[in-house]
Amino acid sequence: MNKAKDKPQEQVLVRYGISRREREQFLASMMSPEGKPEVLSDVVVLDASYANFSGIIAASLFAEFGAEVIKVEPPEGDPARKITPYGAKVNGVGIPFLMEARNKRYLTLDVRTDAGRKDFKKLAAKADVLIETYPAGQMDAWEIGYRQLSEANPGLIYAAITPYGQYTDRAKEFNNIPDSDITSQAASGLAANIGDPDISPEPYNWPFRAGAWIGWYISGLEAALGGAIALVYKEDTGEGQMIDVASADAYASLVGYPVFIGYTWEKARPRLGRHDFTLYPYGFWKSKDGIVAIAAPRDHDFRALLKILKLWKIEDDWRFTFDRITDMLDQIEKLYGLIEAETVKYTSDELIGKALQYSIKAARSKWRGGGVPIIMKVQKPSDIMKNPHWNIRKAFQEFEDKKLGKFIIPTNFIKMSESPPRVKWISCDIGQDNKYIRKKYLSD
Amino acid sequence: MEDYFSYTKKLFDPSTIKDKPEVFKGIKVLDFSHVIFGPVAARILAQYGAEVFKIEMPFVGDLWRFGVYWGKFWKHSSVCFHFVHYNKYFLSINLKSPKAKELIYKLAEQADVVVENFAAGTAEAWGVGYSQLSKVNPKIIYLSCATYGQYGPLRFFPGWDLLAQAASGAISLTGYPGTDKYYKLPDYLGDYFPGNVGALSLVMALYHRKKTGKGQYIDLAQSEALMRILPNFTYFSITNQELERVGNTDPTMAPSGIFKSRDGKFVALAAATDEQLKALFSAMGQKKLISEYKDSFDRLHPKNSRELHRIAEEWVSKRDSAEIVNLAKEYGFPVAEVMDDFQIANDEWRRQRGSVIAFKDDIYRQFVLPGPSAMLSKTPGRVKWLARPLGYHNRYILKTFFGLSEEQIKRLEKERVIGYWDDRPGIKPPVYYDIEKDPIFNYQDDARGRQNE
Repeated sequence: MNKAKDKPQEQVLVRYGISRREREQFLASMMSPEGKPEVLSDVVVLDASYANFSGIIAASLFAEFGAEVIKVEPPEGDPARKITPYGAKVNGVGIPFLMEARNKRYLTLDVRTDAGRKDFKKLAAKADVLIETYPAGQMDAWEIGYRQLSEANPGLIYAAITPYGQYTDRAKEFNNIPDSDITSQAASGLAANIGDPDISPEPYNWPFRAGAWIGWYISGLEAALGGAIALVYKEDTGEGQMIDVASADAYASLVGYPVFIGYTWEKARPRLGRHDFTLYPYGFWKSKDGIVAIAAPRDHDFRALLKILKLWKIEDDWRFTFDRITDMLDQIEKLYGLIEAETVKYTSDELIGKALQYSIKAARSKWRGGGVPIIMKVQKPSDIMKNPHWNIRKAFQEFEDKKLGKFIIPTNFIKMSESPPRVKWISCDIGQDNKYIRKKYLSD
Repeated sequence: MEDYFSYTKKLFDPSTIKDKPEVFKGIKVLDFSHVIFGPVAARILAQYGAEVFKIEMPFVGDLWRFGVYWGKFWKHSSVCFHFVHYNKYFLSINLKSPKAKELIYKLAEQADVVVENFAAGTAEAWGVGYSQLSKVNPKIIYLSCATYGQYGPLRFFPGWDLLAQAASGAISLTGYPGTDKYYKLPDYLGDYFPGNVGALSLVMALYHRKKTGKGQYIDLAQSEALMRILPNFTYFSITNQELERVGNTDPTMAPSGIFKSRDGKFVALAAATDEQLKALFSAMGQKKLISEYKDSFDRLHPKNSRELHRIAEEWVSKRDSAEIVNLAKEYGFPVAEVMDDFQIANDEWRRQRGSVIAFKDDIYRQFVLPGPSAMLSKTPGRVKWLARPLGYHNRYILKTFFGLSEEQIKRLEKERVIGYWDDRPGIKPPVYYDIEKDPIFNYQDDARGRQNE
């Protein structure tokens, strides 16, 4: 399969004066972080988040781009250290906390005490970015909120992450409710759009939680994105600002669908189970040895899919996008079944190979109409880590720490030629950098 | 001292947004990308003030102009397309013609950022890749978006958000364990999330350029952006076990889940810390359980978390959702009602906050679209105009930016270097709108000059 796939592409590249291997090596060396500067090497970030991963994630993103990130936690440690799947831990630290312990400094400082707040003020006077996740107004009541800190340090960028934000009546009213991933998913419209259709038995037709921290990662990313934009403004004007992230907005604001469909359609979408509401076929089917994801939504893609599955006889019934729209569930279940009856005859690799071969031929033939049916194996993490593609791209990195042992984290997710983000170390002992931080920032 | 919430209300007041400065004013972005993944990254720059030139093929246009839910167009346009393309300039230029390339290179000379998301190597083949445009403008920041990235054996594989979800392992996590029920992340989250990661990389590159004067090439693989947010790889490397589908719960918190209340509503509830669990048990009137489940790691063990899940499920089923929310407010544990599309679009709080914006557009009139979840107090993002029909800004940009005369533009139209829409919804203006009288579309010109109507 590989040989057949590679040959025509080799020719394409030769036509443009670059060989396949040359381009490969050129790009890989171009993106290597070794010896390159870091974007945020002169930025200091204080992460005062408490029992909330969106703050920790935002801080990680700054740290990966080279900022000096100081995690401020009480002497007993941030409770986030203990938030981990099924209680799995290494040396008392949960797996998500360990995975996000990227290039960070750990300082024990209790903002609940007067002495702690005094030191915190000193640190904040020297910081560029501050991240916190306490209830709205809590830091202000402690006199270490944006209002007070920005007086001493007008360049401070202050990012606060809470369920309902820092202003509006609801923010005040719901102030006491802490943030979590599952509530963020529920309040921002994600859970309502996952799950089986109404006709399925309970509880399969209930709203459903996505199996990863989608809510927390969106809020973390948006806080970092807002912070980066504010850093650009600070570079121009010297002014900092406040950033207010509401986790109850996370999903709806990111993808937008709940908002504009709620407005234009004037009702909520029903849950569609395994189907998609814009594209079809666009989902996953059983194969002989697992599950494959298939996307062939445009009419010519769909025709191509029928060809490779030897299903051309049904083409007449399902020819146009509008025949395949998922507003009639029985119809689309029928087509789902017709496709599945064929996909189970082949292994996943056979299906992927068939789709690729068809696409390559179609690109060169005026008779085949350019259809591109796309098929990919639904993979499990352990398979993915073995895939040479991610190996070449260094998507995973193994680390070894005296206390944490050996482990792998997903990394290098943005490749940049001049100033790539990178992970330099992972370690997260409580108070491990107390001396260093106190000497550097709190000695005067 | 002034009340905190009245202070913040002034700080973030949505009605003052239009008077506040824009961070990326003067930044020019060349946007060759299509569908969602690339365009979203460019749009975020436009949201904060950049001028984004969206380049599309005449008479063809972006595929996502036709990306409508259940075939429903809204005023001859796709609402999804509006969301990924607001504040942009719409140019329709035929990249295949050599004359078009002259125009593009001229734009690239002054551009700061380029975004593309073709299959790896395609942009190079068309003469608009990094290797070519960086010669025209060495300070350029160039973002290539692809499902598997620009190098590595999988790079020629085509992709959509779904395939990235399959390849990154995201699909293998969502569903009911022990059944054949898997769910994908809905609404093309596999495009939007990496698209926002792309925006982050562009902002960082702009920051770097401000300090050093250097542009750069960015290779963003959407699968890798999705892998970054999954704990499963680390979990596997430490425990040697797959983190399988977990059902309707969060395995990192116990109890946690989405439950049905007595009044038939759905409520998400969780207790992530000792403090929150104490609050929850107090609200339940079950203080004696606090000491039984006091170890944070131990209570996450499946046999304990299943029991806690059962206790929470039973408790919720005997109460109305409003009562549960009130108890959460009083005691302090995470609770939220499940909100559906209609509730979110009409939520009073979101309207006040500015995360749902009622916007009046010159062509499409009243529309409601999402604002950001991160509000910036001094340099907020904003909406200026919605997406436009194919080639809408051709004349405006060619005259103001390139200084072309009406005759030159007509020649370009005749030679099919530039073009407009045909009679298909998605690329044409709404039926009630008289485009002939539009001052931007017919910039400093009378309507008779145009050929392709």
